[in-house]
Amino acid sequence: MNPFKLAWTYFRIGMMNELQYRVNFFIQLLQSAIALTTGLIGLSLVFGQVNNLAGWSRAELLAVMGVHLLMGGVIRSAIQPNMERLMDDVLNGTLDFALTKPADAQALVSIREFRFWQLTDVLVGLVVIGVAVAQLQVRMEVLQVLAFIAALIMGAIMLYCVWLMVTSIAFWVIRVNDIVNLFEGLYAAGRWPVGVYPDWLRTGLTFLVPVAFAVTVPAEAMTNRLTPETMLFAAGLTLMFVVLARGVWLIGLRSYSGASA
Amino acid sequence: MSSVITISQLSKHYQVPEREGGLKAAITSLFNRKYRTVKAVNSITFNIEPGEVVGFLGPNGAGKTTTLKMLSGLLHPTSGDVRVLGYEPFRRSYDYLRQITLVMGNRNQLTWDLPALDSFDLQRAVYGIPVDEFKRTRDEFIDLLELKDLVNKPVRNLSLGERMKMEIVAALLHKPKVLFLDEPTLGLDVTMQRRIRVFIAEYNRRNNATVLLTSHYMADVEALCKRVIVIHHGRILFDGDLSNLVNQFSAYKTLSVTLQNPDTELSQYGEVLSKDDGRVTLRVPKAQTSQVTAKLLSDLQVDDLTVEDAPVDDIIDQVFSQKEEA
Amino acid sequence: MKRYIDFYLSSMRISILQQFQYRVANYFYMIGMIAEPVIYLVVWSTIANQQGGVAGGYTPGEFAAYYIVWTLVRNMNIVFTPYGWEWRIRQGNLSMELMRPMHPIHNDIAYFSGWKFVVIILWLPLALFLSWVFKPTFDITWMEGIAFFIAIWGAYLIRTMLLSLLGMITFWTTRVSAIFELYFGLELILSGRLVPMTLMPQWVQNLSNYLPFKWTFFFPIETLVGTMFIQELVAGIGTQILWIVIGASILNLVWRAAIKQFSAVGG
Repeated sequence: MNPFKLAWTYFRIGMMNELQYRVNFFIQLLQSAIALTTGLIGLSLVFGQVNNLAGWSRAELLAVMGVHLLMGGVIRSAIQPNMERLMDDVLNGTLDFALTKPADAQALVSIREFRFWQLTDVLVGLVVIGVAVAQLQVRMEVLQVLAFIAALIMGAIMLYCVWLMVTSIAFWVIRVNDIVNLFEGLYAAGRWPVGVYPDWLRTGLTFLVPVAFAVTVPAEAMTNRLTPETMLFAAGLTLMFVVLARGVWLIGLRSYSGASA
Repeated sequence: MSSVITISQLSKHYQVPEREGGLKAAITSLFNRKYRTVKAVNSITFNIEPGEVVGFLGPNGAGKTTTLKMLSGLLHPTSGDVRVLGYEPFRRSYDYLRQITLVMGNRNQLTWDLPALDSFDLQRAVYGIPVDEFKRTRDEFIDLLELKDLVNKPVRNLSLGERMKMEIVAALLHKPKVLFLDEPTLGLDVTMQRRIRVFIAEYNRRNNATVLLTSHYMADVEALCKRVIVIHHGRILFDGDLSNLVNQFSAYKTLSVTLQNPDTELSQYGEVLSKDDGRVTLRVPKAQTSQVTAKLLSDLQVDDLTVEDAPVDDIIDQVFSQKEEA
Repeated sequence: MKRYIDFYLSSMRISILQQFQYRVANYFYMIGMIAEPVIYLVVWSTIANQQGGVAGGYTPGEFAAYYIVWTLVRNMNIVFTPYGWEWRIRQGNLSMELMRPMHPIHNDIAYFSGWKFVVIILWLPLALFLSWVFKPTFDITWMEGIAFFIAIWGAYLIRTMLLSLLGMITFWTTRVSAIFELYFGLELILSGRLVPMTLMPQWVQNLSNYLPFKWTFFFPIETLVGTMFIQELVAGIGTQILWIVIGASILNLVWRAAIKQFSAVGG
């Protein structure tokens, strides 16, 4: 079965399901607004003291925040729900249902859930990015826009891979909530450009949890900081994460069927 | 001696929002909700004397659990009187709560990751049971239910039945005078059910405790309860001895016949309920039982014949379906 | 009284035994949690360095001290969440808790305070690591140490009252997550969780004096990190006690209404 077709079907079902509960849209919008407000307050506190942070101006940091919100929405609508369901399925032994379907199991477990209203974060993120671009007073070239989108997609793929790897091997040690909490904590680091962090932390945020590539690199694309080398490096790293995640997934799968037999 | 439980014209009504299908209805219901009254319990009256074990029967949604919750103080009655041990349960006086217990087959209060012994100790602290007394009761229960080897295992490693036994120990450590048991044997295998039954009977005998029990398993009721109360649609249909229930509602008896010629058609004698290996089960109106038996014996070559009252399960079914039609 | 002490000790024992089994999970939780103050710390140290070593009166070393103590205070501030209330009402677990001849809040307080002992043991190595990396500057007197010990338990109780009150909204309506998030947003700004209150505009600081939030983060941290006169320490702990009493009184009132609601619609 074509995984893209399948993903589209699941997406449609998830969307129709959630459209029934319109109140949730307003609740979600309110929550996005709260997150945005606290973020803006944080920014204004910083710029009450200084006029740039590690070389990033206020408008540039606003762009970082926009990307952070947007990517957060992508995680919470498409990646995290699937991984939570996967963990539940493994714990309850109901993963068998997914494994017996005639489609690639990894693809299947990655597209089954979609939380439509979480996309409000994407929406709010886009608005913030728009405001930031207006404040930056630069004209984005086509190439720049393309680089920005490519960086976003690669970032999302890398984050997905990390989620999948942790989910595949760690479900039997760690409670689901704690994994979610851990990711949220580390992802929060992406609100600021990774350049402000000390070396050891920056390394972690680049290679262990690639928040650097998911948020900072797209923001660099917008603010004329991105070099072709970084883009190439990101592409290589994405490829590596994909291969690694596939391997870890297969190992996890083997130990799952071993445990249930 | 006065009754332990007195219930008089007790009712519990709920207001349930009415929902029509469709988006339009969903939106209008946000502003202008229509309600409908559901009479979960509708003016019921009964007394229970000290030391009685009473079976509370009825199909799902009949009002059994609602009544148990009113008795244990979780629900406030809409109208009517309810008194247990002289207390009004809904006031939730701690003196009252200390003298009763509620066991629900689908709820648990044991700490999942720790041995049951730890949960028992917490119960001791909750109810302020003196340590000596606590140890005596605990060991007595552990003995009766044969749990000695299991109390040191984490609860999560126990089977459903073992867990239920622990649950019952925890619920009775404070030696309650009144027990409300809601499906205590739900989902357990037959041996486990029997063990729990014996334990409840023993607790009742030793402590002269009053027990009100609901169960889907008639075996529980037959073994434990002399008296049953049947409730349906929130109203009491029957209150009295189990044997009377059988007499009053069973209009039929069951005949089991084994014939030399298994292919004989028997439908002219009564309603054929089942037919296997040459053994035929017939349902016959009670008044005609002897007549039909005589006719069978004279007409056919009969190897074996038994006459039985219909199983209580069937009778209960009948009670409900009769009332449904009425 | 004796029964309650006995109960608290038993419940704390159970929670220590249980949470110690979950030490790995607890560790992961803590690492996720520690990311938050580390981010704040890095940003504010950067700012302090850019400004020649001080921002809002704090040196990088003092920021480090603030946010490292923050991690302990945050751990102390973990209480039964409003989401937990929602869960236990929906699952029907509350019914079983109501059968006990004791207010359910006692179990919440006892269980979570037992958990603190596990948490603090796990926290120590992390605190040492953070201190080694970020080089905090401390100047602690005996008096401050004692005040801090009292203040973190005060903070724990205040936050228990606040979040229980918030959780009880679930008795009336189920769409509560937005209200919870709004609360957490306000707390972030007004408690000293985001930045030391002294970095906030004056009017925010004034406002926070009349709200309970600051007494759950900023005050306990400052007892250790700042320099306070004994009068300030005593007054602060007094204010904490005042908020605990206010919180407990409101909780009591709301609880009665909540139980009325609960027993009307079914447990």
